Amino acid sequence: MSELDQPRSRFREAARAKLADAHTLGALDTATARLYGARAAAWGDLPEIEKLRERAQAIRSGTMRELDRHLDDFTQALEARGGHVHRCASAEEAREAIARVCRDAGARLAVKSKSMASEEIGLNEALEAAGVKTVETDLGEYILQLAGEHPVHIIAPAIEKTSQDVADLFERVEGRPVEARPEALTRSARRQLREAFLRADVGITGVNFGVAETGSICLVTNEGNARLTSSLPRVHIALMGMERVVPTLADLAVLLKLLARSGTGQKLTVYTTLISGPRREQEVDGPEELHVVLLDNGRSKLLGGRYQEMLNCIRCGACLNVCPVYRKSGGGAYGPVYSGPMGAVLVPLLVGLEKAPALPHASSLCGACTAACPVKIPLHELLLELRRDLAEQGVATRRERLAFALWSFAWSRVWSYRLSTWLARLGRPLAGRLGPGRAWASGRALPQLSSRRYRDAR
Amino acid sequence: MAGRIQLFATCLGDLFFPEAVADAERLLRTAGYEVDFPRKQVCCGQPAFNAGHLRAARRVARTFARAFTTELPVVVPSGSCATMVAHYLPELLEDARYEAYELSSFLESAGVELARVNEGRAIAYHDSCHMLRELGIAEPPRRLLERTGARVVPLPRPDLCCGFGGTFSVRQPEVSLAMADDKLAGVRLAKAQVLVTADPGCLMHLRGRAERTDGPPVVHLATALAGGLP
Repeated sequence: MSELDQPRSRFREAARAKLADAHTLGALDTATARLYGARAAAWGDLPEIEKLRERAQAIRSGTMRELDRHLDDFTQALEARGGHVHRCASAEEAREAIARVCRDAGARLAVKSKSMASEEIGLNEALEAAGVKTVETDLGEYILQLAGEHPVHIIAPAIEKTSQDVADLFERVEGRPVEARPEALTRSARRQLREAFLRADVGITGVNFGVAETGSICLVTNEGNARLTSSLPRVHIALMGMERVVPTLADLAVLLKLLARSGTGQKLTVYTTLISGPRREQEVDGPEELHVVLLDNGRSKLLGGRYQEMLNCIRCGACLNVCPVYRKSGGGAYGPVYSGPMGAVLVPLLVGLEKAPALPHASSLCGACTAACPVKIPLHELLLELRRDLAEQGVATRRERLAFALWSFAWSRVWSYRLSTWLARLGRPLAGRLGPGRAWASGRALPQLSSRRYRDAR
Repeated sequence: MAGRIQLFATCLGDLFFPEAVADAERLLRTAGYEVDFPRKQVCCGQPAFNAGHLRAARRVARTFARAFTTELPVVVPSGSCATMVAHYLPELLEDARYEAYELSSFLESAGVELARVNEGRAIAYHDSCHMLRELGIAEPPRRLLERTGARVVPLPRPDLCCGFGGTFSVRQPEVSLAMADDKLAGVRLAKAQVLVTADPGCLMHLRGRAERTDGPPVVHLATALAGGLP
């Protein structure tokens, strides 16, 4: 079972639990509304936003068409600068490659900056098992590590926590009261993390973009923790989804212009770090070794297919922030890693529909995600396409397929349509007690079947 | 006569909201159109199409192709069914190239004259997602309501879906209801007397929820324009 799998009934159960938790729901509402507003304002400040989105889409789609070549270029350039590249086909291979590097370095402690790919492969658990303690240094991820929870948002992992929740967690670590103000909380986290930064043997980061022409990796953060993670420890391991490559620095500039604006509404994040290889001879700091782990884990099978555009995702989180379903059900409902519309599309593609059959239906197909996507991925159309696959491949339940087949036969002729609605009128007393009618009537009045259809009244 | 059009009642309109379809027909006649009502019409197949069941959708969509001619425009008192007919039917059936219009945008461009039947009323208008994002129709319904004398008050976050979403409403009823509650709470915040929508799906969902929660009246746009508000 992979980190991404999720059984059919999980979404609804998790969403139901979230809806009963007014405290968390309130935090989520406030935070997503703020991020939504910030993106809208940042996009509004760019008169050329539509052109920029089209350019970004063209860059991403162009890259995917020749992904192998760009990855080869990236690898050569990075190796020429003294870095090591490990291509990993599966989560397991990636976990092993990272554990091996840690073992060779004699590592006992690893600091990590935020990486959703590391969540995808279940890295922390694997490293613990290999005898390497990991400490998350992104504030949100650190909070979740203390709470023993998984991220519920791809860029704001602890979005469902209020400052009071965080203060309570930090108090347990510090053994003394911590004020629930952002400044006090950050100071407290800094105190707790500084020691880990100084002692760590290995630093593990994600990668926002890998630049093929220079072999550079680009990290985008607001806390500066990725800089410490990638420069203080002796060894830096960067885990990169294979689709995160961009051909040139000029392409990178276009995507960076959109990434922060779409995620948090910032023009750029506080730190944008470009790393080109490990420490060179005359340099005074930086790691002795740099390893980039290129993760496939189901991505390459999307190349050339109907879902290739999903690889264009730059993980900005805009689709989560606009999604009315996400803000009611919470990130956890989508599973422990990717959430919101991008998660609902990506997860079934990576693990297979039968392992995440509820996700394509975890959307009202309102299309807000598509409208907010900086690289113009037609997310709601992809969800619809996945629904077709669910039906075609027989992953949709037998009951559902039968119901639609019967309905479609009944409504394929006017006489049988009339008959079916006449029967429905007879069966009305039962309508609220069975199947979909019951789910409908759980909180809504059933519509009155008019005594005369419009066609007859007319 | 301004011309002839075909009226598509939609399945929800035919079965649950015949008064709204009657109002739509009246408005079209007021605008000077001769209205054909093809007797063989049933449904455009959207419920199955959006659930991914293409074969079922195609089977039902054929009723549409048998009932309607591509020679005359089709006017639809439903944002999502208009989207289905205009955007998705050609994907589903060969030669299904219909000139389909959502009611309010059609009425506006036809320059319909409306009586000031809503003088002094504060009305909130709910954008249905397909109509807003696929058809890009946001202003015509609001402008038409204003021309009936109504004050159209803005809802908080008008971009948010009401939670209907076809089968979504019964697959995820809890989330769906929570979304409806937000929408209805917005109507109260906006101090509107009534919520108007141009989509029978949203109407069925929001009215059903409002009835259970002592919410505001929810009415189809055609009824509001034709002077049928409570």
